[in-house]
Amino acid sequence: MFKELDPILHSQLRLAVMSLLISVKQADFIFIKEKTNATAGNLSVQVQKLKEAGYIDVIKEFKDNYPNTTCKITKKGIQAFEDYVKVLQEYLQVKQP
Amino acid sequence: MKNNENDFSPQESLQLIRSMIETTKHSISDKSHYFLLWGWAVFIGCVLQYYLKAIIDYPQHYYAWYITPVALIVFIIFLIRDRKKEKVTTFIDEASKYLWTALGFSFFALSFIFSRMGWQYCYPIYILLYGVGTYVSGSLIKFRPLIIGSIICFPLAIVTAYVDFDSQIIMLALAVLVSYIIPGHLLRMQYRKQH
Repeated sequence: MFKELDPILHSQLRLAVMSLLISVKQADFIFIKEKTNATAGNLSVQVQKLKEAGYIDVIKEFKDNYPNTTCKITKKGIQAFEDYVKVLQEYLQVKQP
Repeated sequence: MKNNENDFSPQESLQLIRSMIETTKHSISDKSHYFLLWGWAVFIGCVLQYYLKAIIDYPQHYYAWYITPVALIVFIIFLIRDRKKEKVTTFIDEASKYLWTALGFSFFALSFIFSRMGWQYCYPIYILLYGVGTYVSGSLIKFRPLIIGSIICFPLAIVTAYVDFDSQIIMLALAVLVSYIIPGHLLRMQYRKQH
């Protein structure tokens, strides 16, 4: 019996955001938007969901008089990502014996 | 990127993770201006000091190093400007920051140590520290010219300890040329080609 894939992570845009953040120390909203090709509105909603789940920290500050949002993965987020990849591997091992 | 659809296969998930991680690999920012700033500042300092000391025999030849505070001001301007522009901080950026901060503290501490011990011993140590900094930086960003330049610094540091002070100045200029200036220009060229 397979474990269920974490529904927070099993969404294309949220998984893309988490995959970006797992490989950097921190990234700002514009960078994530450019790399994922998402719209600002959709990205905001998904970033908020990841934040509510405790998977990322969102820091809002002013940079050169403009609002700037920086995202950073949390320990809980790293654990969730690792668990998600483990479950993925289980699925793939069965499909590719 | 599609919306938050949940109906994608494990293969697609893995592919997405892979491609996102891959995009961050190309997020190494261009830091060549720091190597060029310090490289040229030290090189000009060496040429000036050599001219003042060995050619016109000016007693206050160390005035040449007034170029250091000027370079420091430009360096701080660069730091502030880059901080504003920075969209992502990679772990390589973070590691480089710690390395160069530690080296900055070392150069600062050494200025007090050599004022006490005598400046005639300073250049082999400076060359050694240039080698350490550029070796680690070059290895972090996997940039061969920086690694090669840094490795040349180690024998240069040994040779510098055995030559007279005038020749030490030339050796220092040679060290920054191979470890900062040449790799700095090559790094800038490579970055501009990629972007």
